[in-house]
Amino acid sequence: MSHIGVDRWVEESGDRQEHHTGWTAPARRLFDKVRPGWRLAIFIALVSIYPLLVSQAGVRIGITVLVLAMLALGLNIVVGWAGLLDLGYVAFYGFGAYFYAVVSSDQLPAHWPTWVSIPVVVAATALLGALLSLPSRRLVGDYLAIMTLFFAQVFVEIVRNYSRLPGVETDITGGPNGITGVDPLSLFGFQFNTFSRNFYLLVALLALLIVSLHHINDSRTGRAWRALREDTLAAEHMTTPVNRLKMLAFAVGAAIAGLSGAIFAAVQVGVFPNNFLLVFLITVYAALILGGLGSIPGAIIGAIAVAFTPEILRSPGAAGWLFYIGVLALLLVVLKQRARLAAVIAGVVAFGYVFRMVALGIWDETILGTANDTLTGGILDGWLLILGEHQDVVTNYAFVLVIVGVLGVIVTKGWWRVAIFVPTIYLAVFVWENKLALQPSVTRQLLFGGVLMVMMAVRPQGLLGTRRVEIT
Amino acid sequence: MRRRSIWRLVATLLVFALVAAACGEDTGGDTTTTDGGGDPTTTASPDTTMADMTTTTGAQPVDVCEATVGFMGPITGPVAFIGEVQLNWFNYALDTWNEEMGYDFQMVEGDNQFDTAQSATLAQQFLDDSAMLAAVGPAGSDQVDAAGAVYEAGDPNFTFISPSSTRSGIAAQYTGMFRTVPTDDDQGPTTADFLIAQGAQNVFMVDDQSSYSTGLADSVEENLTAADVTVTRESVSQDVTDFSALVGTIADDTDFVYLPWQVAANGQIFANQMAEQSKEAVIFGSDGMDSEDFTEAGSFIAAFAPDIAFVEGSESLLDGYLEQYESTNTFGPPVYAAARVIFEAIDSVCQTGATPDRASVQAEVANTDQADSILGSPISFTEDGDLAEGRFFIFQIEEDGSKTLVE
Amino acid sequence: MEFFLQQTVNGLTLGSVYALIALGYSMVYGVLKFLNFAHGEVYMFGAFAGYGVLTVLGGPSALIVPVWLAITLMFVAAMAVASGIGVALERFAYRPLRKASRLAPLISAIGASFFLQAAALLLFTANSRSYDAPSLIPIESGLTLGPINVWLVRILVIVTAFVLMILLTWWVKSSRVGKAVRAVSFDTEAAAMMGVDVDRVIVATFLIGSALAGVGGVMVGLVFGRIFHLMGFIAGLKAFTAAVVGGIGSIPGAMLGGLLIGFAEAYTTSYISSTFQNLIVFGLLIVFLLVRPSGFLGRPELAKV
Repeated sequence: MSHIGVDRWVEESGDRQEHHTGWTAPARRLFDKVRPGWRLAIFIALVSIYPLLVSQAGVRIGITVLVLAMLALGLNIVVGWAGLLDLGYVAFYGFGAYFYAVVSSDQLPAHWPTWVSIPVVVAATALLGALLSLPSRRLVGDYLAIMTLFFAQVFVEIVRNYSRLPGVETDITGGPNGITGVDPLSLFGFQFNTFSRNFYLLVALLALLIVSLHHINDSRTGRAWRALREDTLAAEHMTTPVNRLKMLAFAVGAAIAGLSGAIFAAVQVGVFPNNFLLVFLITVYAALILGGLGSIPGAIIGAIAVAFTPEILRSPGAAGWLFYIGVLALLLVVLKQRARLAAVIAGVVAFGYVFRMVALGIWDETILGTANDTLTGGILDGWLLILGEHQDVVTNYAFVLVIVGVLGVIVTKGWWRVAIFVPTIYLAVFVWENKLALQPSVTRQLLFGGVLMVMMAVRPQGLLGTRRVEIT
Repeated sequence: MRRRSIWRLVATLLVFALVAAACGEDTGGDTTTTDGGGDPTTTASPDTTMADMTTTTGAQPVDVCEATVGFMGPITGPVAFIGEVQLNWFNYALDTWNEEMGYDFQMVEGDNQFDTAQSATLAQQFLDDSAMLAAVGPAGSDQVDAAGAVYEAGDPNFTFISPSSTRSGIAAQYTGMFRTVPTDDDQGPTTADFLIAQGAQNVFMVDDQSSYSTGLADSVEENLTAADVTVTRESVSQDVTDFSALVGTIADDTDFVYLPWQVAANGQIFANQMAEQSKEAVIFGSDGMDSEDFTEAGSFIAAFAPDIAFVEGSESLLDGYLEQYESTNTFGPPVYAAARVIFEAIDSVCQTGATPDRASVQAEVANTDQADSILGSPISFTEDGDLAEGRFFIFQIEEDGSKTLVE
Repeated sequence: MEFFLQQTVNGLTLGSVYALIALGYSMVYGVLKFLNFAHGEVYMFGAFAGYGVLTVLGGPSALIVPVWLAITLMFVAAMAVASGIGVALERFAYRPLRKASRLAPLISAIGASFFLQAAALLLFTANSRSYDAPSLIPIESGLTLGPINVWLVRILVIVTAFVLMILLTWWVKSSRVGKAVRAVSFDTEAAAMMGVDVDRVIVATFLIGSALAGVGGVMVGLVFGRIFHLMGFIAGLKAFTAAVVGGIGSIPGAMLGGLLIGFAEAYTTSYISSTFQNLIVFGLLIVFLLVRPSGFLGRPELAKV
């Protein structure tokens, strides 16, 4: 609770940026050594090879990742650079997608050529962004956030119920059915109608965007945005045109979102109201925050992590790998003394056998089954207790106990921690094999939420961000 | 010093894990045998009366017949109660089929969370999996659009049967699409005719702003107004849980309240609040309201697979299902029907001695001709892929919650 | 007239529930300047806790204790579970982030929200549960206010909500901890320097805010009947809106905001259109915020140089 010493700490922040410490230090130093231009080149090279290594579905996922990366970069301008909390960003994305869909399908009907529709879409979305920035003159911080949040809700409602508005003759947005049969993008007769083509288009656009953003960041506007973010009042008094800068940030961010939306519509060959719900906004924010707010490479890495992880977690085998390695990693991190680490591992093994013996002694064989077919089923057979009946009830209690145990582990120290660790880990494996592994879809969401919480607790500035001091 | 090396080890392990996982992904997703919450060893043994239900032409299982079938549905997310039941019925169909025939068909589950973007990705994943011959799902009409576009562009021979998409005309758009539910074109007129026959003069209609609901409501409204019945049309979004204000606007001379909703529990809330405000109109619910969640005595339900307890021979199936899984709703049985259609089609191909592939399976599916099914009606498909003889039953709910067939 | 009365009662019921949930948002924001997005999930778990107690006691049709005792126990259980989760969230998810950037706790809250929703899905499955309150307290029972009949459960909900709000106001005004809460929300540093244990105050805030949300959950179960794992998200958004309208950080503001939103929804649906219910309410809010950004009873933010 101390603000004592803050000034000194702020003073030293510049130093800290140059001398990295912490566990990502080696990676970051290497990162810094390579010049941005080369970094981008390497990135493009790696990304370009990607479609050749994976299946079509992989390319489709890659497109999702790239779209998310673009969105994260756009949001980065508004939130990371200009410091404006915009919770309605997904509406710009939706607006761009719908606009493009309306002018490129049988909805009206209209089939504008790409070289007309894309610039119009981008410009229109930028205009919308500028409009939305107007309230930001009066609203600061959280109130702006709230207003933009409502705007996002309003957008979805309008799109879904447009045809029911009084006085509306033609149904522009397709209502809950959305718009289908959207034309693919095409330039000079070359149609972007396969996943691979769209993928490379996105790579090109992303590269262009990164280069532009890099230059903007170093320019006067970039510096002005930083000033705006750090201390709006001071910036204003230094004659920075605060309102115009806010408008610019919103407009540019919106333009990028609009472009991403248009491409999204072209790839999905359709748009639906449910594509633009709050959940997606949260995904974009998660990508941005996890990667590190304010950092371009951070936004990209964040997008990759956030978009890929749920896909990986779809398959129970992969999720199993991650789970067990995660547990091991947790142990390694939390228990620094080798003696305690060994004690925990030995304890868990022993606990498992004892537990199983006791259970088999009390209840008869019929309620127990054999291990199922997940990755480790074979290895753990004979040690882990697998339930045949009453799975739901028992695993529910076990699940709650695991959570309590984890919290207990965080709170305690020393040998108490070891003691609580043992049953917690056993129960975690128990719940995993008996319930979670059987419901990959729910587990995915559980792990995602957990990862967000843990990441924030452990490293709130994200992977590539710098620790910021809130000057209040 | 040690700390840093441990971190390096941890980081390496995590990278290794991710790489291993990602490499595993390349083959298009791992296949899993079905466990679905039930015990792996003691699967429910199907009743011998199963033979009545299946219409395998008395075929004997072939020695070698392997297949992978996919399931795409909203297993988690906003309508998880639909997806869960659908998944359970799919697994049940698979387990009973494998047990019955001695086969070892595999399944892959895909959770699209009722989202179109994920449906498209999953559709592509299914296509990439060369072992997968067909799939059941997706559930919603807009997801059918998204997935259908991918299937159509990637492999029109890939069969996908939707067990709950009812928007008219979709099946015609996608080559590989079939469905085991009748469309709004059937349910709308059936409902309207019934209401007119009951002497309705004034009908209050609320849709829930979903694609399913608006389509159905439009159809019924059209038919009713053509017969000079006054229709008051309202709509609420699915996330509204309090309808008191809306109920208050129901005029006293309203005969029927039509609720083509997907969430039956909301229907019950509506009914309760109508009772609170002494509104005497009778509720008529669409097939989405056919569920244990809606038990308002005196109400009517249009259903295509009515509480399959009514269908002779389905009882044993239902019992077997309920033994393993907690509860069911209207979205379940069509999944069973769809899965069986696929399995039998694959089996037919195996019978001829050929290795089943997507094209041959689709041909067999198109020729499906089951005289009897869990849905209480024969299953065969039109050229477009719609059910040729889908019909709707109309039920009335009794005081004790049971349903009696009215039409 | 009858119509208007009916809608007013509807609005009052809805508004009371929103107010209870909004209080949690407002109190936490007042003290920490942080929007707890996981608050809705706390409310949802409270509802399920109440359902659990109801089931243990025999279910709505075969209660083994008198109805009033059952309902009281349900409230108590909901408060306990909800505040337990709230306090745990504060201690483990938010406390480490007090000094970090403003977005970090937001993301953590969102992660917590996802996690809790998934946990609910695991524990309770996707089926919605119903309190089946009409079996507990028949719909016919109630007061007759002129031309309309008001169900007893609604009266219970409204009265309980008001009682709780009055108690809370009194507590904040008179008790030591309550005054400490006010002090901390006014100026945290100064309060710390005057010897207030800020950590304790924050825990108390979360505890009470979450307990109120838990009570709200049981009420929703009683009046509307349907509880499911996603109910927190929607209710959270509306209650959050209510907190903002009333002036976020202000306790009476949250109550006022909740009631206003409840009325707005009821009157909009009945007099204008149900289709655009959400749209109109949100639109009004946008306009309202433009005119008076700090809400009805909020303190206009002074820019400190």
